[in-house]
Amino acid sequence: MGNKQTTFTAQQLDAYQDCTYFTRKEILRLFYRYRDLAPQLVPLDYTNHPDVTLPYELIGSMPELKDNPFRQRIAEVFSEDGQGNMTLDDFLDMFSVLSEMAPRDLKAYYAFKIYDFNNDDFICKSDLEKTLNKLTRNELTEDEVRMVCEKVIDEADLDNDGRLSLEDFQHMIVQAPEFLSTFHIRI
Amino acid sequence: MNEARRRGPTQPSGPAEVISDCYLGDRRPSSQASNPRCPQFDWGSAPTGDEEGPQDLRGRPLSMSLKRAVWQVQQMRVPAVSKGESWKRKRTKLLRKLREGTREFLYLFSPWRKALQLIAGNFGGGVQSFFVLLRFLVLLNFFSFLLIAGFVLVPSIVFSSEGSDSVNVSGLGECMEYNPNPQGLVPFYSYVLDVLLGTGFVELSYLFYGFYKNTLVQGTNFYNIPLAYIFTAVFYIAFCLICIVARLGTTARVVVATGGGSSGNYSMIAFASWDYGSLGEKETKLKQKNILYRLQVDLEEERLKKQAAALTLKQKIILYSLRVILFFLALGLIIAALVGIFMATQFSQERSGQEGILGLIIQYLPSIVITAGNFVVPMLCDQISLLERYSPSLTIILALMRAVFLRLFGLCVLLFTLWSQVTCSGNPEEDDCRLCQYNHKLYPCWETRVGQEMYKLTVFDLLVTIATLVLVEFPRRMLVDNWSNKLVQKLGRQEFVVPANVLVLVYGQTVVWTGALFCPLLPLINTVKFIILFYCKKITLFCNCRPALRTFRSTTSTFFFLVVLLFGWGLATAVMTYSLAAIHPSLSCGPFRFFANMWLIVPTTFHTLPDTTKEFLFFIGSQAFSIPLFILLCVVLCYFIALASVYGKTVGLLRAQLKLEGRDKQFLVKQIEALSEHL
Repeated sequence: MGNKQTTFTAQQLDAYQDCTYFTRKEILRLFYRYRDLAPQLVPLDYTNHPDVTLPYELIGSMPELKDNPFRQRIAEVFSEDGQGNMTLDDFLDMFSVLSEMAPRDLKAYYAFKIYDFNNDDFICKSDLEKTLNKLTRNELTEDEVRMVCEKVIDEADLDNDGRLSLEDFQHMIVQAPEFLSTFHIRI
Repeated sequence: MNEARRRGPTQPSGPAEVISDCYLGDRRPSSQASNPRCPQFDWGSAPTGDEEGPQDLRGRPLSMSLKRAVWQVQQMRVPAVSKGESWKRKRTKLLRKLREGTREFLYLFSPWRKALQLIAGNFGGGVQSFFVLLRFLVLLNFFSFLLIAGFVLVPSIVFSSEGSDSVNVSGLGECMEYNPNPQGLVPFYSYVLDVLLGTGFVELSYLFYGFYKNTLVQGTNFYNIPLAYIFTAVFYIAFCLICIVARLGTTARVVVATGGGSSGNYSMIAFASWDYGSLGEKETKLKQKNILYRLQVDLEEERLKKQAAALTLKQKIILYSLRVILFFLALGLIIAALVGIFMATQFSQERSGQEGILGLIIQYLPSIVITAGNFVVPMLCDQISLLERYSPSLTIILALMRAVFLRLFGLCVLLFTLWSQVTCSGNPEEDDCRLCQYNHKLYPCWETRVGQEMYKLTVFDLLVTIATLVLVEFPRRMLVDNWSNKLVQKLGRQEFVVPANVLVLVYGQTVVWTGALFCPLLPLINTVKFIILFYCKKITLFCNCRPALRTFRSTTSTFFFLVVLLFGWGLATAVMTYSLAAIHPSLSCGPFRFFANMWLIVPTTFHTLPDTTKEFLFFIGSQAFSIPLFILLCVVLCYFIALASVYGKTVGLLRAQLKLEGRDKQFLVKQIEALSEHL
């Protein structure tokens, strides 16, 4: 479109535009944010698909993420190796899902994955306890944590197996009007 | 640890089905060693998903590398599509580019985006919704001003040299006397007073109705200023309604779709309350404390509910009778405030001739009493509600309703008092009103006086806000920061209370709508006022306030505030309609001075139109056209109501089906266990 950037080919930019919820300008802006994390590791020229992965420590130190108690889970869910080390693709994907344009279903899917600490496709009681402790800085008493976990499973578990599947989670999150605005990182 | 698990054999299906399987939670273990995401994509499938174009790709939960590979494959498949398909593809792509272009263009019309982001990150969505509403009102007022300037102000200035049409009315010479210019020498401070009160040199300016002439420009530039004035006022009100309803629609969609969100309180807190966009360590700690507080409060409420259910009959009777008494007490307080406003307005209008500082205070008396009432009465009602012991959510709603009631009815009382004085309580036979159909002794130009009252309300509101900022909020912060007295520390820093601030906005906007007919530049003044308010509130938020411990549900409350704004609009429209249709305009000033009421200019102009236009307009207004149109609209409305009810029923059915499937699955699992034990 007339801009003389040489970071991506036109085809790459088209692909990114179709695969994320960002415009060309935003994709370039995110690329520069990615590069700022480690300028010596990330080349300026991505036209020949370099294989660059930034370690989790750098991702977790971004101002948008560094105070989020779930930052490690977010990085693990969106990274290819599952350990939090992200390529540019993963980086763009993460912010695309967390942007304001992403639809509710997509966000619910990834939110489920984030809260599923043991990656067994279910949010069980231990996952819930870890979530609650992260939300309240471990300041709830054991009794209170137990009571709240029981109440959550009571409310959301539809198939009565004592844990939340993706469908239970999606069904419950659809009724939360503020989910779309809270599951949203502004970058 | 991620174990390498093989995915079971699947039926080869089209990409759409596989993706949707993966989407809806395939419970078989996820495959492919180290990727915790769902990478299943059946490459061997035939290209069936041609209708879903590229825009569906980004909504799929695949890893980015997989998405790009799919995209490449889709691009390579392009020669295989038919001409119709490729045209459809191009059209969807063009539409998307257009949408993104408009999005970038609309960014021009969203000032303060960065500031709003910062506010949301530090103080949460509830506070941000206040500032978003404020920005919406600034833009609304600005565009209204452009509308009014374009159609009324600029033509008035351009054609101000044209002579005005003067009809000879005999016997009404007394009604035509109007000279707001001060006589003789004036003290130096009178200019400041004039700006504050809207009198003197300000009165004889384009700010007020009285200055506009009833110029009928003939010849090459045909422009009928009175007609333009009326139509602009009507269109301005309609334009505001359209904007608010559009905004209400987008908010209502979320509220209706999620069904109000009354169930699932704990799961909401656990999964939907953490704001991923919040920045800063302090704010994060505060949010965590906030969530802790909410959970503890909810658990406490449960306990209290159990207690309340266990109340004996005697205790229940006492509680309910207490509630009834307190309700009437609150009602009494509100009525007392309204009576106070009524008396203050009467007093102020009767003694309008006073000079000096005392005169200034008397002129501002209605505004002072309204502001004081709006400050004192909600505070007292808050104390009352502590005794009523309703649940916290009901308490908040009740407090809001009382405050809204007080504000809008206070304004009503002010307007009613003005009306009774201008038209001698609607009695044209009374002494003062017999000559000119309105009280020409007190009000030689009554529209300007009404406009001045609205102007004074607006100005006073702004002054009070700035004064509170400087005299109350900053000192409080300095006191709390520097004096470690226990009482002062308990008082603590200010909290930014969203509902009270939003009501201030709604009230200010209602005043502007009411006064726009009589003071055409009021939207411009209001734009400036709201811009100043934005910066003042932002400064106070960041410097003086601590984030609220109890958060504020932003989505449902935004809806409620827009509804309250609509009430204000309704009040303003009622006032405007009545002024246009029923009250005799002043004979000494303004563009309508020789008509029996303002609306009469429309039929008069109508009769001067050429015959074909007249016939066409008659046809549109006649029954032959309007009744079929009305029937058509009813049919369309019924269709949409039926559609909405069908969707609602479908949602209910699907929910029941989900529950049933869960139970079926449990039953089957038990059967399998029982059978495997036998083997």
